[in-house]
Amino acid sequence: MAQPRALDGIRVVDFSWVRAGPWATRWLGALGAEIIKIEWPDNERGRLPSSTTPQGMEVNLNTSGNFNDTNVNKKSLTLNVRTPKGLEIVRRLVGVSDIVIENFSSRVLRKWGLGYEELRSIKPDIVYVSMSGYGHTGRNHHYTTFGPVAQAASGLTHLSGLPGQPPAGWGWSYMDDTGGMYGAMCALTGLYYRNMTGQGQHIDQSQMVSSVPLNGPALLDFTVNGRGSRRAGFPPGNRAHWPGTPLLNNYRGPTVAPHNAYRTHPGDYNDWAVIVCHTDGEWRALVGAMGEPDWARAEKFATAGGRLEHQEELDANIERWSMTLGKYELTERCQAAGIRAMPVQSAEDRVEHDPQLRHREMYSPLAHPALGAHKAQNAPFKLSATPAFNHAASPMIGEHTREIVEGLLGYSSADLRAGFEDGTFWPATRARFAYLEEMLG
Amino acid sequence: MSGADANGGPLAGLRVLELADEKGQFCGKLLGDLGADVVKIEPPGDEPCRHVGPFLDDRPHPERSLSFWYYNTSKRGITLNLTTADGRALFRRLAAGADVILETFRPGYLASLGLGYEALRADNPALVMCALTPFGQTGPWRDYLSADLLHMAAGGLMASCGYDDADVPNAPPIAPGGGNAWHMGGHYAYMGIMAALVYRSVSGQGQYVDTSIHEACALTTESAVANYVYRGEVLRRQTGRHHAAAPTPPTQFPAKDGKYVTALISGGLNPRNVKALAEFLDVYGMAEDLRDPKYQDPKVIAANTAHIIDGVLRRFIASLPAEEVYHAAQERGFTWGAVRAPEDLLDDAHLADRGFWKQVEHPELGRSFTYPGEAAIFNGSPWRISRRAPLIGEHNDEIYYGELGLSRAELGVLAENGVI
Repeated sequence: MAQPRALDGIRVVDFSWVRAGPWATRWLGALGAEIIKIEWPDNERGRLPSSTTPQGMEVNLNTSGNFNDTNVNKKSLTLNVRTPKGLEIVRRLVGVSDIVIENFSSRVLRKWGLGYEELRSIKPDIVYVSMSGYGHTGRNHHYTTFGPVAQAASGLTHLSGLPGQPPAGWGWSYMDDTGGMYGAMCALTGLYYRNMTGQGQHIDQSQMVSSVPLNGPALLDFTVNGRGSRRAGFPPGNRAHWPGTPLLNNYRGPTVAPHNAYRTHPGDYNDWAVIVCHTDGEWRALVGAMGEPDWARAEKFATAGGRLEHQEELDANIERWSMTLGKYELTERCQAAGIRAMPVQSAEDRVEHDPQLRHREMYSPLAHPALGAHKAQNAPFKLSATPAFNHAASPMIGEHTREIVEGLLGYSSADLRAGFEDGTFWPATRARFAYLEEMLG
Repeated sequence: MSGADANGGPLAGLRVLELADEKGQFCGKLLGDLGADVVKIEPPGDEPCRHVGPFLDDRPHPERSLSFWYYNTSKRGITLNLTTADGRALFRRLAAGADVILETFRPGYLASLGLGYEALRADNPALVMCALTPFGQTGPWRDYLSADLLHMAAGGLMASCGYDDADVPNAPPIAPGGGNAWHMGGHYAYMGIMAALVYRSVSGQGQYVDTSIHEACALTTESAVANYVYRGEVLRRQTGRHHAAAPTPPTQFPAKDGKYVTALISGGLNPRNVKALAEFLDVYGMAEDLRDPKYQDPKVIAANTAHIIDGVLRRFIASLPAEEVYHAAQERGFTWGAVRAPEDLLDDAHLADRGFWKQVEHPELGRSFTYPGEAAIFNGSPWRISRRAPLIGEHNDEIYYGELGLSRAELGVLAENGVI
């Protein structure tokens, strides 16, 4: 007998697009909820433009690799919500669903006649999670974000870089993924509360606002001690403290050395490892792992204070050793001796070379009709009674329109065909994919 | 384990036992701020997170760690020594009445004390137990030691962050700061716990949630894995913007006041948004030649990208303070942001409008302090800090005497024997 899923029987109306919203509903789907993703081919920015279509394959609405990984576990209903027929279908869908999620700018859904009060009139206990850029209240509610803008405006970009240089920032949309996590966290919390009390609610989650609490200790250093982080030595690159600058906590843990990234053999672009020693004992273990070099026996490195003060010399010497080893060999050797060390891994490293992710089956292939079979990312938790797993590759656009409109909502085949002719389920002037023609019979 | 309280947060009525260090205290904070009754169990006399700065008035002390204060709001605190038989017996009594247990010990440790999930569920079949560890409960790296920097490296995050060679030659990959590895682990642990609680709310059944911080981090790199899986690309680090297979135009520009602005042109440069940009810059007399009709030709735009972005746009941003550029651009529909330091957020009017900043009392100090508030607004069941972080053993009396019914004499003996 198949194991139950944590969200068996839960249905989500998913208006979300691009990354943050879809990342949230991806997890709800992995947990077993039925995700009905409402799409429209003329403005599916999660599908097009695509920079992740395999070389040599036609770029179209169904061949974005990143869309595929982001949207596993979902069904696609193409629907023009801005028509009376489309709106009526959405209303009927909400009536048989538990959660509504969207990540438009504030007030878009309300303008369509689908604000929380409307949704509640259709389904009193609906859990509505809006995932906007800046939230639904506050004078900047209409501002727009991508991850990099939320990261900039919230202080997260400022945490990343070398002192005295421009920010390095985050090389991807950390807050799209993290915003997505908050969307899922809010949906699950709202669902739990509904199950316990019978009450739904509107949860106003937003990318920029969710970013700010991630700066907690830095914020308290300012509000409590009056100390800001625009200061010499901040951010300290990969270190806990930048030598020659005031000795202050830099909000990433205890102030120790060594704490840095070091080049490894053979010195290619991602041949780096990181090493951190929290105690004198861990330092002595590192000295042993390095073969007891003479330089390491100097008194000045024996204490935490000494290692911090002489960190440049310390790091230069460690790197002369680390350059003789591959990053995985260095990691094994250090960890075997109780030293904190890890390789700097690229995406390829994670997928192909990381033995732990392989053991935990982090990447499993899923077959997709247009893209073929490719590895998709799995959940980072193992639930003993209700495992989370990817059960379906991402949908082709509009693939489930018939299943939902006829099967779930009870419209007739004639209604379905009429809706394709009159622009409700597909733009009247746009060519249809073969599978849509087949679906219409 | 009573029903939810309509005036409290969405998790009101839930009892959580937290045995967590830096790896799990943030997840416990989320549960507590959302209304759960989180009881933080610390080893008597030595919880390492209390020794992490910054400290109140820069005076190190276990009750003055601002990092501990932040990550342990809304929790009650007790001390308990699990290495003693009395300690383990008390823990079993607490576990029998708990809804959730969150722990960050090395894999196998609690089981070795007879306090693993299999033992505890016997007295409490509805228990949800979450182990949040660096690499999970099984596998070749299971017993490896970690740190925030190590997770940023192994998780793939560092490989994407850094500098253009022109800005900082031979720069290393850069790990963004702020302890975000623990945040990523905490977010997914929270998700796993809530999924288990939703299932429990309909089935009555608990379960074990094995969460890996390494996997949480490895998942949080947007399209990097897809870029590799579908195109085999190596992405290269660039200053203040996305990694890319081939160099892309800059998006981070210095403003007049020395702060930076992140200015993205959504969808890339095309006739429509070049026109919009020109109109915006023209208000300040900084449009230069952008209003020339030649820029309605996409080929001309493509041939002049460096001039438009690295020339005209850069000079415009350099002419004004960062906040002014940010708000003026956003009001015109441009998705731009000022690069702020965390302290700048205290002046943000939008956050003030939303009541984001909260006063949290520290009665033993006779002071209140401003804390950041909720990450999202739950309009039906508030997300809010209910109290400051606990003092060491602050609620020993309330819980051992008040709830478990031990006498004060028994508590005295336990304290003398190092059990609490």
